[in-house]
Amino acid sequence: MDGGPAQPMIQLFHVYKAYPGDPPSLSDINLTIGKGEFVFLTGPSGAGKTTLLKLIMCAEKATRGQILVGGRNIARIRESAVPYLRRNVGVVFQDFKLLPHRTVADNVAFTLDVLGVPRAECRERVMRMLKQVGLDHKASSLPLRLSGGEQQRVVIARALVNDPTILLADEPTGNLDPALTLEIMDLLNDVNVRGATVVVATHDATLLERLGHRTLRLERGRVVSDEDGIKAARRMAAG
Amino acid sequence: MSVLAKGTYFWRSAAQGVRHAPFVHFIAVVTIAIALFTAGMARGLWQLLDSLIATLGGQVELTVYLDQAAAGWRAEEVAQALRSQSGLDAHVVPPEEAMARLKLQLGELGSALDGLPENPLPRTVELTIPAGQRTPEQMKALAEQARALPGVTAVDYGEEAVQRLSSIASAARAGGLLASLVVAIATIVIVSATLQLAIYSRREEIEIQKLVGATDRFVKAPFLIEGVLQGLLGALCAAGGLWAFAAFAGPPLQSLFSFLLGPHGGPQLVTAGLVAELFGAGAALGLCGSFVAVGRFLRV
Repeated sequence: MDGGPAQPMIQLFHVYKAYPGDPPSLSDINLTIGKGEFVFLTGPSGAGKTTLLKLIMCAEKATRGQILVGGRNIARIRESAVPYLRRNVGVVFQDFKLLPHRTVADNVAFTLDVLGVPRAECRERVMRMLKQVGLDHKASSLPLRLSGGEQQRVVIARALVNDPTILLADEPTGNLDPALTLEIMDLLNDVNVRGATVVVATHDATLLERLGHRTLRLERGRVVSDEDGIKAARRMAAG
Repeated sequence: MSVLAKGTYFWRSAAQGVRHAPFVHFIAVVTIAIALFTAGMARGLWQLLDSLIATLGGQVELTVYLDQAAAGWRAEEVAQALRSQSGLDAHVVPPEEAMARLKLQLGELGSALDGLPENPLPRTVELTIPAGQRTPEQMKALAEQARALPGVTAVDYGEEAVQRLSSIASAARAGGLLASLVVAIATIVIVSATLQLAIYSRREEIEIQKLVGATDRFVKAPFLIEGVLQGLLGALCAAGGLWAFAAFAGPPLQSLFSFLLGPHGGPQLVTAGLVAELFGAGAALGLCGSFVAVGRFLRV
C-alpha cells in the first residue's frame, strides 16, 4: 500500500476547525488518503489528530473547507445521512467506550444491532469476530474483568464486525505495554491487508518506525510533514 | 427481516432499560396507575349517576290531585279527559291504594298510620310520561291542561328532581373531565421526568450507538417503548385496583344504596370495555410522557 494512493478514499481540501474562544484546532488541512492505505497521524498532544479523526467520522463539523469520504462531501451532508456514512467507518477509541454492564459479545453486537441484523446471524458474526481477535472464550465476560489489551481488542472487534471500508483508531495502543501494542497493531495491519483504509493516530515513534507506513505529522493544527514511517520516526527522535 | 430484528431489539432494549432503573420506572408506573385508577373510579361514578337518572326517569309521572270530596266517577272523568287530550296512559289511584303505598314506603313506621281516624289522602290520577315526551315544555303543558279540569286541586311531576340530578351529573362530568386533564398532564410530566433520568443513565450507550451509525429514530424508539410499557403496567395495576375495589367494597355499597339503585343494583365497575380503555389510556399517557422526554432531553 505504499505505492501511493490509487483511488482516493478520504480527501480534505482547505479544512479549518476552530472552537469558540480557542485558537484553530486545524488550519488549512489538505490531504488525500487512498483506498486500502494505512496512514499514521502523529504529532504532539493538542496538534489536532483527534479533531481530524472526529471530522472524518462526522462527530464534528469543519468550520471551513471540504471533506470527501468515499466520494461524498461530508461537509455538506444532511444530518439524517450521517448515521449511514458512519456505518462504513469503524472507530477505535483511546478510552475504549465499552458498556460496562454488557458482555463482550453484546458490546461487539452493538454495531450489528443498529443495522438490524437478525439475532442468529448477529451471534455468528460476533463469535467469528471475537475468534479473530482471540477473545471468543471471553464472549460472556464483562469488559471490566478484561485486561487493557483485551478491552482494546473488544473495541477493535466492535469496529470491524460490520466490515467497514474505513477504520479510524485514536491512540489505540496509548494505554498498553509494548507486547500488547504490537498485538493490536498486527490486528490493524490484518484489517488493512484485507482491504480496509486504516488511519491511526499515535505519538509512538517506535510504531512508526517498525511498520513504516505513510505518516502525516500534525503540529498546531497543520500538516507539517507527509513521509514514510521510518523517516518520520527518525525526525521525531532527532528533534 | 431487518425490521423484525430491529423491532425485537427495541423491545429487548426497552425491557433492559426497565430492569436497569427499576425504581425510576416504578415511580412512573405507580403514577400512571393512580391516575388511571382515579379516572376509572370517576367513570364508575358517572355511570352510577347515569343509571340513577335512568331509574328515576323511568318513574316520571304526572300526578293529578283531586278535591278531597271528589267521588270516584269524577276521578274517572278526569282520567278519561287526560287520556283523550294527551293520548297517554292515565289511571285512578283511590285513597286506599295511596295509603297502602305510603305504608309500604314508611316500612315499620307505616303502622302509625293505622291510628288515623280517617284516610286523609285524596283521590289522584297518575299519568305515565314516555321518555320522549319528558321535556320541561311538554310536562308544563300537560300540567296546565290537567289543572284546568274540574275537581283538580294540584298537579305535581318529578321532572324537577330529574333535571337537578341531570345538572349534578353534567357538572360532575365536566369537573371530572377537567380533573382528568390535569391528572393526565401531571402524569405526563412525571413520566417524562423519569424517562429523562433513564436517558441520562444511558447517555454513554446513546453516544456509542450514534458513533456506530444509529439513526435518531433507532436511538429514540426504545425510550418510547419504555413509556408504553410503563403505561401498560400502570393500566394493569389500575385495573387490578378497580377489580379489588369492586370485589370488596362493591357489595356493601350496593346494599347501602339499594333503595336508589333498585333490585338490579348499579352498573358494573370493571368491564372488558373499561379494561381496554385503561390499557389504551395507559399506553397513550406513557407514550406522551416518553415523547416529551425524548423530544426535550434526547438531543441526538
